[in-house]
Amino acid sequence: MKEIHELDLPDDIRYAENHEWARVEDGQVKVGISDYAQDQLGQIVFIELPRKGDAFQKGEQFGTVESVKAVSDLYIPIGGEIVGVNEDLDESPELVNEEAYAGGWMIEVKPDNLDAWDTLMDKTAYKKMLEELEE
Amino acid sequence: VNRASGSLKRPVGCYYVDIPVMEYRDAWMLQVRLVRARQDGSLDRDIILSLQHPPVYTLGRRGGRDNLKVPDAFLEGRGIQVVQVERGGDITYHGPEQLVVYPIVDLRSARFRVVDFVEALEEIMIRTLGDFGIEASRSPLNRGVWMGAEKIGSVGIAVRHSVSFHGIALNVNTASEAFECINPCGLKGVSMTSMEKLLGDTVPMGRVRRSVRGHVEEILGCPSESIDIEAVHGLLDRGSEKRTREETP
Repeated sequence: MKEIHELDLPDDIRYAENHEWARVEDGQVKVGISDYAQDQLGQIVFIELPRKGDAFQKGEQFGTVESVKAVSDLYIPIGGEIVGVNEDLDESPELVNEEAYAGGWMIEVKPDNLDAWDTLMDKTAYKKMLEELEE
Repeated sequence: VNRASGSLKRPVGCYYVDIPVMEYRDAWMLQVRLVRARQDGSLDRDIILSLQHPPVYTLGRRGGRDNLKVPDAFLEGRGIQVVQVERGGDITYHGPEQLVVYPIVDLRSARFRVVDFVEALEEIMIRTLGDFGIEASRSPLNRGVWMGAEKIGSVGIAVRHSVSFHGIALNVNTASEAFECINPCGLKGVSMTSMEKLLGDTVPMGRVRRSVRGHVEEILGCPSESIDIEAVHGLLDRGSEKRTREETP
């Protein structure tokens, strides 16, 4: 498993407590799970995502990720409507392990408003939270 | 490595509930309530349920009905239910003389990665079998615990806000015919074995329960305190009263 200093934690995204990440792209928000989360889960074999048009409030469950014999819930870091779903993950769920912030993105959200953005952690705050978890 | 065994530092032990037999759906609902209580802190420690189920087939998150080789009506005629649940894995069978253990564990406080926790659960079964002179092992191909090409113990968990539930099923004196109606865990051509089959004699369930409990304590790093099912409901009711008070000031 990865030590905290080995984790890939980009600084152009925000992080949620349950280890999802969010990145603003052209006014929409892309969402995935962090390098820490994928390392915790182990090899991912199946991902269940919502449909376009579904709407969620911040913190609601939007899907599940199955690593071998374990199904974990996914929670949306920002409320809004689902406008895009990464269909590549149907065939290649391992993308989340391999490139958590690129090909492993999960959903694209049209946010209700971006106020919630500031409640998410930046890299420094997220790293601090991870260090506290490991203490 | 140490993050998994960091659990040894846990300040409180866990509750351990030995239940003779409980219907699958009842045990499922109980787990869901316990997970919620563990998440909101009204349950201040992990809790382990140890029990047997009346015959039931359960399907994992991704289904597995394709691996049920008989029509539902055939099973219903025998009073056997088919239940779809949120755990990982495919179809499996639970029934009399199979020991089922559901650890409701806050993986974050216990310092377990999800993947390590699944391994820890396998390890509990491997060591228990070792106590009875059975040298079972993991398979590089599939999860669970194996004797060669035959499977003796299954694992499947779900995780909500870092609290795990569902767990393991160890075939003690389980009738292997029950597995013949399915491709267990979605694996074609796999047969299931049991401790009884391997040892050529019935194994007392009480002894297996005690052995498992010892290994749960050792591997999850929590000394356990016995409580009965009434006490569990008491804990849950107090927790939900507290929630109601907080929500309606």
